[in-house]
Amino acid sequence: MPTPGPRKTTRRSVTRRDFIKRAGWTGAGATALLVGARPGRAAAAAEPYPDWIPASTKSPKRGGVLQRAAPWDPPVIDPRLTQSIGTFQFVGLTSSRLIRYAFPEEATGTNDLSLKGDLAESWQSSRDFRTWTFKLRQGVKWHNIPPLNGRELVAADVKYCFEQYAKEGLQAFTFREIEGMETPDKYTLRVHLTTPNVLFPQNVAESVTVIFSREVLEEDGDLKKRLVGTGPYILKEHTRKVRVVLTRNPDYYDKGRPYVDEIVILSTPDAATRLAAFRTGQSDILPVNSLSEVEVARKTNPNAIVQEYKNVLAPFGVALAQDKPPFNDIRVRRAISMAIDRQKQVDTVFEGHGIPGWGVPYMYYQDKAPTLKELGPWWQYRPAEAKKLLTEAGHGNGFETTLFYFEYWPQMTSQVQLVQQDLKKNLNINIKIQKLDYTTYYGRYVENKWDGMSWGFQSGHAIGLDERTYMYMHSKSTKNFFRVNDPVIDELTLKLRQTPDRNDQRAITKKIVDRELDQVLRIWMPYDGGYFLYQPHLRNMSALALRRTDGYGSPTTARLWLDK
Amino acid sequence: MHRYVIRRLLLAFPVLALSSLIVFGLMRVMPGDALIALMGESGNVGEKELAKLRKELGLDKPYHEQYLLWLWQMVSLNPGDSIFTNEPIPVSLKKAIPVTLELAALALIIGLVIAVPIGVLSATRQDKPADYVGRIVAVSGLSIPDFWLGTLVITFAAIWVQWIPPIGYVSFWESPSRNLQQFLLPAAVLGFRLSAATMRMTRSTVLEALREDYVRTAWAKGLAGRIVVYKHALKNALIPVVTIIGGQLGVLLAGTFVVEQIFALPGMGRLTVEAILYRDYPVVQTNVMLVAATLVTLNLLVDLTYAWLDPRIRYQ
Repeated sequence: MPTPGPRKTTRRSVTRRDFIKRAGWTGAGATALLVGARPGRAAAAAEPYPDWIPASTKSPKRGGVLQRAAPWDPPVIDPRLTQSIGTFQFVGLTSSRLIRYAFPEEATGTNDLSLKGDLAESWQSSRDFRTWTFKLRQGVKWHNIPPLNGRELVAADVKYCFEQYAKEGLQAFTFREIEGMETPDKYTLRVHLTTPNVLFPQNVAESVTVIFSREVLEEDGDLKKRLVGTGPYILKEHTRKVRVVLTRNPDYYDKGRPYVDEIVILSTPDAATRLAAFRTGQSDILPVNSLSEVEVARKTNPNAIVQEYKNVLAPFGVALAQDKPPFNDIRVRRAISMAIDRQKQVDTVFEGHGIPGWGVPYMYYQDKAPTLKELGPWWQYRPAEAKKLLTEAGHGNGFETTLFYFEYWPQMTSQVQLVQQDLKKNLNINIKIQKLDYTTYYGRYVENKWDGMSWGFQSGHAIGLDERTYMYMHSKSTKNFFRVNDPVIDELTLKLRQTPDRNDQRAITKKIVDRELDQVLRIWMPYDGGYFLYQPHLRNMSALALRRTDGYGSPTTARLWLDK
Repeated sequence: MHRYVIRRLLLAFPVLALSSLIVFGLMRVMPGDALIALMGESGNVGEKELAKLRKELGLDKPYHEQYLLWLWQMVSLNPGDSIFTNEPIPVSLKKAIPVTLELAALALIIGLVIAVPIGVLSATRQDKPADYVGRIVAVSGLSIPDFWLGTLVITFAAIWVQWIPPIGYVSFWESPSRNLQQFLLPAAVLGFRLSAATMRMTRSTVLEALREDYVRTAWAKGLAGRIVVYKHALKNALIPVVTIIGGQLGVLLAGTFVVEQIFALPGMGRLTVEAILYRDYPVVQTNVMLVAATLVTLNLLVDLTYAWLDPRIRYQ
């Protein structure tokens, strides 16, 4: 019999519906009834789903097929040429990295970002943090299929792979930090960096830095047709717009694992079809955006295990062309930030469940998620002060501007419109909204030549602190899409890379965050990561902070097992 | 007849040439860049890499050169590779076309199976309850959009009977039963839409035919009602029906674009929609040209069918 999820236990006490029913029958008063009946906010407050599902205490069972209906298709399977979520939803299962983050069964909680060895058993740096030495695990075999045929992985393989990443493709920016590499023996890789970086191990633990094989690249000239790795699963079939099938690697270095025999990812572009697939058992995992969607799914699948996806940062915010007037004036940025009612967005768009928004994962600088109040004076909704500040900046009558965005999910349009209304009402800023298709939006946004405003984003795959600070905020970084150009941020992000002590890192990160909030360098918007529904027979499937079970974080499902 | 066919075929060339110009122009006018889209959300590709990629794909050439090069590729039956997936376009088409053809064929069959009997029934029971039901069905088919009907069908199938077509396309030759399960609902959705106009047309043409002298003669001869309706009235009533089916083939193909998304079928619709979203110029251009050529051919075939149905029609 499947172990009931934590949510199920909770629901047996008093559910939202029960509450409304009882409140109505016992005449608890019309006001109380109305508050209880409002979807979302009251429900979320009364009965939050857990954001962490502890590992099962049972012994894992071998076998079975894990099936997942996914909206994404891999454009290509060559990890040098894409960072598409469609590709990395399974490449992390076929291929290993030098270092990885903890699996759900090893993690102490959803915020556990401790690094574990994957291909590397241990790693250490020189005193100046410019040289990193990785001791590789012995006896790791490539998949037993041509052209590798199960030969042993050695340090030269990793060296070759990193060299190729640096040479061309999308990972070049990360790997060009490497000045040189040497392999003193078969199982040792020494990496010399151009500048000190204490966070380098995090960079090679990112989900996209997988180790691919030399033979395939040399034989085929690219990695578009075959993907041979050392991971727990072997790519058995990849039919675009149909399915990806992964089969268990019997020679995986972690003996006895993985537990599931086959993983099938079904290409399912329509959200209603994905929900129907979950309802009928064709899909084992269903991510949804809101609590009301959870309740809809649970009507037919009351035994589904529900996990609230941990909100640790907001990936979207209002990006301003802050290198040009009027947004290069800090008073204008602060006024805009104060004129936006974030709590209203949280209450309405995210049904009372979202976070007000910040850009650096909070666990890198404090233990608890910041409250709106803790974000500081410029992040509070204070329309009168906002108006005063904008007048001081010489824009008392407001101004005209544009905002372009791509609707990543339907609620985003509501958010954009709320911002438009707030800025018109409070500051007389007239925003002409342009809703674009993904390609147009993305091209315009990353080209970084736009004026006015954009609904900006930061990449979804990154976990590491270096990526979330230096890569996204340093003025010279190619990923600095919000056009942050602040000497203090530049100095702090570089200093962070040279600070080994964890407590000191937290202190510097806090300074970076405080500086960002004070200068309003990126106007983060409320966000909610949504929820995951799992079929009741899934075990050890908990999504972790920054590691969703269905996207870039899918390697964390390598130790999932099926209790049926 | 032969001259007519040749003339129609010759006329097809300017139509296709114009289509090619329109699709090529539209793709270039549309904002957005396929190469930047390909980068995903990395932000790791610099101007140098982009310029190199553009050169490799021939996107750095002037538009007229790109157009002529593409025309040459089309004529030589080598439309090139997808920018987004690098897959040769003929390979993608080989996989997608059978899916769409099967869906369209089944939808057409279902559409006709619904439309003709109900249309005839409506006509023979004019202004009776059966007629009203038939007309309501027809109006519903005309007014309900495919995407809405498809979503409803898949949602309610999951809720009421805990069943939806198995996701993950398999070909008919691999597993006929699984394949038919996958196509039944989408074909029914498309077929229902297709049946509406056909049903209305069948009803009115059969009604018209039933009032003709030759039908009155048939009745007077004492023929059975079934024979009068199906052998005498329906056969003559079918010519305008064929016309309208011909006209609906475009609608049918457009419908597959939507229905394939909902039912996760990897046909031409999904291929084209994805290519448009990612500005995959070669794929969009080739697919649109293929659809244009198909429609031109189908229209010609429909015209030729008239002669077969009505020996009085001759093409001079």
